[in-house]
Amino acid sequence: MNTLPQQLANGLLLGSMYGLIAIGYTMVYGIVQLINFAHGEIFMTGAFGALTVYAYILPDGTSMVVAVPLMLIGGGIVSVLVAVGAERFAYRPLRQAPRLAPLITAIGLSLALQEVVRNFYPGADKDRSFPSLDGSHDIGSVTITDADIFLVVAAIVCMSGLAWFVRKSRTGRAMQATAQDPDTSQLMGIDTNRIIVIAFAIGGFFAAVAAVSYGLKYGNIGYRMGFLMGLKAFTAAVMGGIGNIYGAMLGGVVLGVAETLASAYINHIPGMQQLGGSGWANVWAFCLLILVLLFRPQGLLGERVADRA
Amino acid sequence: MTETTENPQTAATAPAAQRGLIPLPLATARALLLAGGILTTASTFLRWTWTSDFPGDLTVNGYPGGLQVLTLIAGIITALFAVSTYGVRGLGWLLPARNNAPLVLTALSGFAVTWYTVISIAAELGGIVNWEPGTYIAAVASLLPVIGALAFPQDATDSTKEALKAYIAKADHVPAPQATAPWIQRLAITIVAALGLTVFAYGIDAEDELFIGFLIVVVFTAWALQTAGLFDRFSRLTADNRSFALAMGFVAAIGFPFTQTNDHYANLGVNILIFGTVALGLNIVVGLAGLLDLGYVAFLGVGAYTAALVSGSEFSKFSGVQFPFWAAALTGAAASLVFGVLIGAPTLRLRGDYLAIVTLGFGEIFRIAVNNMDGVSGPDITNGPNGIPSIPDLSFFGFDFGQNHDIAGFTIGRFANYYLLMVLISALVVTIYRRASDSRIGRSWIAIREDETAATAMGINGFRVKLIAFALGATLAGLAGTVSAHVTYSVVPNPYQFAGAAPPNSAFLLAAVVLGGMGTVSGPFLGAALLYLLPEKLVALQDKSLLAFGIALILLMRFRPEGIIPNRRRQLEFHETGQLDVPDTTTLTDEPAITKAGA
Repeated sequence: MNTLPQQLANGLLLGSMYGLIAIGYTMVYGIVQLINFAHGEIFMTGAFGALTVYAYILPDGTSMVVAVPLMLIGGGIVSVLVAVGAERFAYRPLRQAPRLAPLITAIGLSLALQEVVRNFYPGADKDRSFPSLDGSHDIGSVTITDADIFLVVAAIVCMSGLAWFVRKSRTGRAMQATAQDPDTSQLMGIDTNRIIVIAFAIGGFFAAVAAVSYGLKYGNIGYRMGFLMGLKAFTAAVMGGIGNIYGAMLGGVVLGVAETLASAYINHIPGMQQLGGSGWANVWAFCLLILVLLFRPQGLLGERVADRA
Repeated sequence: MTETTENPQTAATAPAAQRGLIPLPLATARALLLAGGILTTASTFLRWTWTSDFPGDLTVNGYPGGLQVLTLIAGIITALFAVSTYGVRGLGWLLPARNNAPLVLTALSGFAVTWYTVISIAAELGGIVNWEPGTYIAAVASLLPVIGALAFPQDATDSTKEALKAYIAKADHVPAPQATAPWIQRLAITIVAALGLTVFAYGIDAEDELFIGFLIVVVFTAWALQTAGLFDRFSRLTADNRSFALAMGFVAAIGFPFTQTNDHYANLGVNILIFGTVALGLNIVVGLAGLLDLGYVAFLGVGAYTAALVSGSEFSKFSGVQFPFWAAALTGAAASLVFGVLIGAPTLRLRGDYLAIVTLGFGEIFRIAVNNMDGVSGPDITNGPNGIPSIPDLSFFGFDFGQNHDIAGFTIGRFANYYLLMVLISALVVTIYRRASDSRIGRSWIAIREDETAATAMGINGFRVKLIAFALGATLAGLAGTVSAHVTYSVVPNPYQFAGAAPPNSAFLLAAVVLGGMGTVSGPFLGAALLYLLPEKLVALQDKSLLAFGIALILLMRFRPEGIIPNRRRQLEFHETGQLDVPDTTTLTDEPAITKAGA
């Protein structure tokens, strides 16, 4: 049986999730040239925020049709608060500091967030189960679940909403101006601090959307889930061209498809029989990043040239 | 409106503007400080409790034990500083700036350690009935110097909070030391090295309560010496006698195993040394060249795995191969070098942030790959999660590192052997670090770190020197990895991760460099010792250690980005004030003092 359509669908789904998280990296980077290393953890706290709503606030047996939007709101609030709080208390004081300082702060923040969840969230030292949507549908030879449908719809809605917001709204245009030249836009009367907070908040909300879809799709979440997902999403942002929101989505999809196809088919290549399977998927994703950096450092859609450190 | 407030000079010289936080005459304050210090010292010769259940046996009259020894030392230091305020000849050097902070901090050190002891006696033995008269005397006596020190006059401030801040502030201006004979300088360095060794050996042996007490005394005393300006003076002294100071540091490091009777503590020593050496290698990359490497521990892993593969272990894929150590070390270092260049070459052309993520990815990929290469889910090379066990001990010219050896009446155990080997390797790495940082390439690194565009415009090939820094750092980590493989008998994938509960991992290494002080030689070793000992000794902290490090990193970057031991240039960079880097020793006000002293 031909498994290619199914693998492509899996890759697309995984890629949309990477893309949603990558938006957070790319927006913040576009405006303040900071890699928000803790973004993976913002994604993780969003998942736990959504779980809190489901497990501790909603009564048992709430229909998922009601629960999922409320979980999105709960996860979104937590992620946005964490993201904005990180900006306000960790990054903003360091905006004029040497480049190394905010990066080290970001690592500290990432460790601290992981450990706060592990130590203080009930039962979070092991993986916690998350309500999953597993009704499945067959479309031709491809099987997709309700969670997959939710993910695709959410990704499309979020992306088109963001595209409209950045292009058409006053704040969105102010955001573009700030990304181009923060000093001049400040002179033109744009409150750049507010724009930066909004960029962090949007990134945080998109991460929460990705986190809820992650939980619904895989059925469990853990305090370490943000690390690899964040790393991959950053890879996606770089591949698409960091600073470019469409690039983030495209990079996510390319990375997701490439990773899925590599783990499914690479063991058919003579001499690489043992390098297939999910254990090596991360290795291939990483090799792809190195290749992109070698041959197209500005990314697939990026016009920003690799500038100085 | 008064004229005096307009003129700061009048305000500073007017005696009325000086007052203590606690209103006491100066003579009383001094007397309290001295008497309190002496009484605290004396009280440790009394018994503090009736049962020897409390660790360290505090029940003997006339013989201080356990935590009493720490109180005794803190009391003596307080008394010494108190005597120095009387202007006694020969002790003036303790208070070069004549400021209050060292008095307050040494008094606090005695107070804190005494009250910690007293409270933990009551808490652990169940109530204050376990206190003896000596306990009460100690508790009261240790409070006296604190009152005395806070009564010392200082410039008036607006609020109590500011007054307290001023009591622990470093002196604004430390006068330059008198010229001393070279032999006195060398003697001072020797004494400091011996003291350092004693303190380190004491701390590594201390357990539980004793270790907490040790930390209290060391932190407060070090803080006091720093505010007194003695650290600045000492670093100037070592700068003047650099080779001698390095030699003394080396001798002190070699002396460590001879102070230990239990090989377990030598094990701690060798691990700290490996950790510190790797951190120093990372310091080349992070501190000198300003490149953030988040997967550094993977290079240690490459070295360790390479050494394990060619060690002749029967579980190694190449069990027939047994390289001599020098060859294994070179192979391990070379393997790390290859990986360093492979990772560095594509990423170092781009801005620094990419390097951070790519190295982070590499660190994670290394662990995953090593974990998978067990012959089932990947090629059969590393034995997967089981790792490569039973790595044989090293042997040089018939000197078997696995055996105990008797040297001059001291028994040197297995870990002590490796410790001595590691001291040699650390010395090599320190030499490489120093030579490299003073060389043309080292200055290029610093230039690149400060401003890459300007450096490139001056003709520095940015990519080339960054790649050299990155590759050199990787090589040194690989070298340290080859030793660590033999010390731990086995290599497994798990320690080589980004963040874990115990060192070494990339987050701990970076924390050691940042905490200790980026761009310095001693900083990473100090950071490594602290970060290794704290979770090792304070079991309660183990579970929360990563949380504490995360928060500590954020706070450090916010408030003291230059670390505990600041690199001067780095400090200026972090606290940009627009000032030029002017040496602060020869200001005009100092000149008369120097000529007077010299006459």
